[in-house]
Amino acid sequence: MLHLERMKGEEENREAKKNNESYRSGRLENLKVSVSVFIANKTALAGLLIFIIFIADALIVQFDPQLIGIQSPNLLVPNFQNPIPLPPSPEHPFGTTYPGIDLFDGIVKAIRIDLAYSFFVVAVGASIGAIVGIISAWAGGMMDEIVMRLTDIVFSIPYLILALAVGFILGRSLWHMSIALALTWWPLYARYARSQTLSTKELTFVEAAKAGGVGRGMIMFKHILPNVLPPIFIQISLDLGSIVVIFSTLAFIGFIPNADIPELGYLTSLGLNYVQTAPWAVIFPGLVITVFALAVNLLGDGLRDVIDPRRRS
Amino acid sequence: MKLWAYVVRRLLLFIPTLIGLTFIVFILSHAGGNNLVLAEYINPRLTGEARTLLIQKLTEEFHLNQPLYIQYFYWLYQVLQGNWGFTTTPIFSGTVITAIDLFFPNTAMITVVASVLIWAIGVPLGIYSSVNRDSVGDQVLRVGSFTLYAMPIYLIAVALIIALGVYLKLIPFSGVVNPILVSDVSWYKNGISYPTHIILIDSMLHGAWQVTWDSFLHLILPSLTLALATVASIIRILRASMLEVLEQDFIRLAWSKGIPAKLVYNLHARKNALLPVLTLYGVTVAFLLGGAVVVETVFSYPGIGYWTTQALLNNDVGGIMASTLLFGLILVTANLALDILYAFVDPRIRY
Repeated sequence: MLHLERMKGEEENREAKKNNESYRSGRLENLKVSVSVFIANKTALAGLLIFIIFIADALIVQFDPQLIGIQSPNLLVPNFQNPIPLPPSPEHPFGTTYPGIDLFDGIVKAIRIDLAYSFFVVAVGASIGAIVGIISAWAGGMMDEIVMRLTDIVFSIPYLILALAVGFILGRSLWHMSIALALTWWPLYARYARSQTLSTKELTFVEAAKAGGVGRGMIMFKHILPNVLPPIFIQISLDLGSIVVIFSTLAFIGFIPNADIPELGYLTSLGLNYVQTAPWAVIFPGLVITVFALAVNLLGDGLRDVIDPRRRS
Repeated sequence: MKLWAYVVRRLLLFIPTLIGLTFIVFILSHAGGNNLVLAEYINPRLTGEARTLLIQKLTEEFHLNQPLYIQYFYWLYQVLQGNWGFTTTPIFSGTVITAIDLFFPNTAMITVVASVLIWAIGVPLGIYSSVNRDSVGDQVLRVGSFTLYAMPIYLIAVALIIALGVYLKLIPFSGVVNPILVSDVSWYKNGISYPTHIILIDSMLHGAWQVTWDSFLHLILPSLTLALATVASIIRILRASMLEVLEQDFIRLAWSKGIPAKLVYNLHARKNALLPVLTLYGVTVAFLLGGAVVVETVFSYPGIGYWTTQALLNNDVGGIMASTLLFGLILVTANLALDILYAFVDPRIRY
């Protein structure tokens, strides 16, 4: 009798192993499909390429600025002997802006700062938002109602103006600007995470797990989270483009006080008074932001195709 | 649910939002101690003993010695009385209420013109894009709106300035009017026109048609920038929703009845496709208001937004707090109006 049972157990074990293997190979297969779907999307690939170039720029300036001949990565280098903007030339590939700052040098440094702070905003905003959103959808009832009213209230002020006011109270600096943006941005992620969690909660496999007697916490971590987190990450990657744009917009309207900080919006504002005689001084820094935002949006669209099973076929 | 019941429910929901909005502004100005409140409410022209007396009076009036949740009600009482404090910026110094009275009409003007432009540009392009799906025109529009969507507003403004103002020399791009034209008229003083404060309307009231034309030219670039910054998302939403509507049974029925294409698109499909655009218009309003701050700054257009950035640059609490509260009030009211309008247009929403 005992023997028989042991045999049965071994059999089950073997079966489980087999299932596990096929599951694993299924995963690999899955990854292959994902990669091929992504590669088939040429624009997304281009977005990825541009994104990598920007990241590489930021990393080089961070770790080995001498490699591309950058002296002071945290400061713009003004040249008061010749403050009027000069047109692009071999010496200054993007020209110069007021007061005699080499735009190429400034932009290369600024990309690191813009990217780093925007990553911070998105990471903090998304963590707060995702946690609040998932918990409120999971708990439901009163808690959910309160959280949603709270996000409603934060949404009742245009985010640019709210961020401006919060940053003003904290004091005008780059750090405070990003903290203000994170504080005003999280409700967006909270809403998104909540709706994702709610719709996943209603799906059949969650119901099946419930019927099978799986515990609440187990359902949350094993069944719901793995399905909810990927779309949230996609949303985050899409938002990086918007955040960089808003970040530079705040800097452009004068959020960071006059200091020689290499920041793309600030660089643009330096050239604003010379727009009639030196259009390059505003076009180049602005264009760099647009290209980055565009690349991130394309990348995000491609990733969404990968995640969304309906679009994979 | 009856329509009026829905409206009443929506109005009741408006109250907690208003409380929350005012509470945010209150916390921003009060949480860091009394300095900001005093900076906001003390007339900057007062000095010496008068100032000390006023500080005492304000501490009493706003109950600044008591806990925050009690202060809130006294602050709210003052705000409801119209006591919004003082502002000191290079473009205006005086009470906040006067500043709003002077600057708000200009902001209203460009946002309204921009909204009209958004519908005038966005709806035809969105419909065209979906009807001629995957055609060259559609591809161009999609790439164009995608790029526009990624551009910071100030870059759109600068691009328009360079293209239309600097190279073609078509349109002026700074201020509301050519100052030479209004240098010796009685109804224009210190950059502010009377009585409505919108120079376009004032000049018409006074019969100065040359000024009207000039101020109209000055209005084009700010509103166009604001419209272009927003129109991309409208085109995208409209295209998607139109494509969805065109798949539905009642459209197929219309086709099978032999109704001409023009009627199917314009009569059957468009009305239904516009509904999602209307729901998402609240987001657009928020974007327009935020955009107004940037646009007015770039074009030195004397509206609330320009005043806000001037307040930011000059560490003026009154200006920042007042514009936060004002923009918030406009946004929540606009959302309320849109929700009610939406219930009128689409009976399904009431259930």
